[in-house]
Amino acid sequence: MNETSLAFTALIFLGAAIIMVPLVRKLGLSAVIGYILGGIIIGPFCLKLTGNDTDDIMHAGEFGVIMLLFLVGLEIEPRKFWTMRKRIIGMGLSQMVLTVVSLFLIFYVAKWRPDQALVAALCFALSSTAIVLQTLKEKNIFRTQAGEASFSILLFQDIAVIPILALLPIIAKKSADEENQILLQYLPDWLQPFSIILGVAALIFLGRYVFVPFLRYVSRSGMNELLAASSLFLVIGVSELMYAVGLSPALGAFLAGLMLANSEFRHELESQIEPFKGLLLAVFFVSVGSTINFFVIMQDPMFIFSTVIVVLLVKLLVLYGIGKFFKLKIDQNFLVAFALSQIGEFAFVLVNYSTQLYLLSPQLNAQLMAITAITMCVTPILLIINEKFIEPKKIFVKNMESESHEPIKKQRIIIVGFGFFGSTVGRLLRSTGTKATILDNDARRVNLLRSNGFKVYYGDATKPGMLRSAGAETADLLILCLDNFESNYSILEYAKKNFPQLKIFVRAKNRLEAYDFLNNGVDNIYRETLGTAVDMAVDVLKATGMRAYAARRLGRRFMLIDKAMVRKLAKEQLKDQVTFTLKDSLDQEAKLLAEDSHSFDESQWNDNEEYLN
Amino acid sequence: MKKTLVIFAHPYFEYSTANLELIKMYDGVENLEFKDLYEEYPDFHIATFRERKRIRTFERLIFHFPLIWFGLPPLLKLWIDEVFDMKWISDEDHPLTNKDAAIIVTAGGKEEYYQKDGVYGTTIPELMKQLTLSLKVNNIEVKEFFALYNADDLKENELKEISQTIKTKLEIR
Repeated sequence: MNETSLAFTALIFLGAAIIMVPLVRKLGLSAVIGYILGGIIIGPFCLKLTGNDTDDIMHAGEFGVIMLLFLVGLEIEPRKFWTMRKRIIGMGLSQMVLTVVSLFLIFYVAKWRPDQALVAALCFALSSTAIVLQTLKEKNIFRTQAGEASFSILLFQDIAVIPILALLPIIAKKSADEENQILLQYLPDWLQPFSIILGVAALIFLGRYVFVPFLRYVSRSGMNELLAASSLFLVIGVSELMYAVGLSPALGAFLAGLMLANSEFRHELESQIEPFKGLLLAVFFVSVGSTINFFVIMQDPMFIFSTVIVVLLVKLLVLYGIGKFFKLKIDQNFLVAFALSQIGEFAFVLVNYSTQLYLLSPQLNAQLMAITAITMCVTPILLIINEKFIEPKKIFVKNMESESHEPIKKQRIIIVGFGFFGSTVGRLLRSTGTKATILDNDARRVNLLRSNGFKVYYGDATKPGMLRSAGAETADLLILCLDNFESNYSILEYAKKNFPQLKIFVRAKNRLEAYDFLNNGVDNIYRETLGTAVDMAVDVLKATGMRAYAARRLGRRFMLIDKAMVRKLAKEQLKDQVTFTLKDSLDQEAKLLAEDSHSFDESQWNDNEEYLN
Repeated sequence: MKKTLVIFAHPYFEYSTANLELIKMYDGVENLEFKDLYEEYPDFHIATFRERKRIRTFERLIFHFPLIWFGLPPLLKLWIDEVFDMKWISDEDHPLTNKDAAIIVTAGGKEEYYQKDGVYGTTIPELMKQLTLSLKVNNIEVKEFFALYNADDLKENELKEISQTIKTKLEIR
């Protein structure tokens, strides 16, 4: 494979995605459909644009799935994962067993060869992690009942891939070729069956004692691109390691993410990996589209489509039954059943592997591949049917209202910058038990604070994407306490544009900074040089013999008037008459302060509504 | 309905059950402004000028508060101290003339305690003398006085009934 052809193929893939996705989005469909359609169009049966590199592209795309799972791992804390274990095993195991058994029986009755029936049943029982998680994220229902149930089932399936891979050679009555299990061969025979445990243990060890110190070391160099490099290094490294031990790379990536979920680098890693993930997943879906073999479908459409319908029906019924058994709300249950009804991307891997073991003929291989791809295309359509026709039905209306959208608690407050200023804010919040996500870009400080029980994350919030990973989409309050005006300002602009629901509080050094924030539509501005200075002045007044209460009232009034003044001046500043009004405002203040608050000359106030606030 | 200003003062509103239910009666009523003093002036710094300017525009004031140690909540007392001006009384153009008032007081104690011969030896209207007198001196007529006893133990349906009674009497619609 030479470079140009690979680059050219990648170009075509990306082009297909870029052209198709906005089109489908316009129609209100999920982006996944767009990618798959794009793939079909550039595939060998439409434009014949894809060369022989599709396998490599598909392989690159599989990294998208791996990164997706890594990110999912990052989002779940180990403790949370542990509390989900019953669900994962309960729902996951029952889904696998029931689906495999029913499909096997149906295929057996339909006179398939028993071993082929079993292989097909095993492959078809899996659902597509990539499609489902992408959809959950798109619809923002990751944290609902349905989201958690889907996730539990998918996770179990990812784990189940390992024993299935081990089972296939047994079904084929052949010894597995251990081509890709290099590391294992160096282990003594008796240890080989424990490879899974060994791999997981190695990962946990690495996560604890290697990853985090390594990232800290890199972050101290202060080079951002190094962090991007090390994030990628981690994810790809882990998946290759898993490959070597013969485990599912996706599962490995998930575990690695899980290990890092509690570290201060969580958000930084998220924002670094996110763009790669999106891109590679897109490539993956396009390659799914481009591998649909229409000749095979045309040869025996009856067989293909009847199998597709049978598989979808069986999966739907099994999922619905499990949902009922686990007491999911009816609308959530429908969502899970529809979302997970397709066959997953691991089926491609398993089918190819079975063909290598001479379990499946090349023709059956192509047919099973086509069936898998078709079910993947059907999912988005099923979800639309669910959204448009099933959910609006009367029985669901009550459920929709009472549905809680927050089994996983996302913090509502984000504090950016945790130096002397931000930490004061944060400590007061913490004293009331108010939780906040804290971002800071000084690795050593982050370390110190974390050891004192703060939830602090390392990251540069001025980078787009960092805020998003810190949960800005679902947060309510954004508190900007950075020292540097430009940084605060750029985050503010980005946040206002991308997360309009955020209420923003910002630290300003002085009046002039406050003008800029005011003119950018921020109302909550905290001037370092106002409050403390006023406190000082009040204490000085007390020291000169003024009654404390009178001094305090004077101070409060001064603050109010000063804030009103700044508001007025901010408007003036736009007209560029600062010098004039500044003098003007000082005169005004002097005049106003000369009044004791008990001398009520109302005429002076009648036209000055803004001072009254 | 007369243009009404509700002056609500409750220093411990987050622990209240009765008032939480009662103030629902002001929700969405036209021609009525609801002022939550403790929310508006948490630092006890009252914007006197603004208050004086705005009070002119109302025809009726409703004072709604819990009884705190047999007296007014301190911020309500301060509000009256700051806003009502002694000079007004001799003024030609008294800003409070031709207004009337209603008072709604919630108390934790039982009704029999607040009797001449009860545990406290005095009644709630008695205790509210300073408020009613301040209003009277400023030409405001107190037309209705509601005292709710045993407020912490009132059930939701009882509170709804009381709300209904008050709304009917004050013609709040």
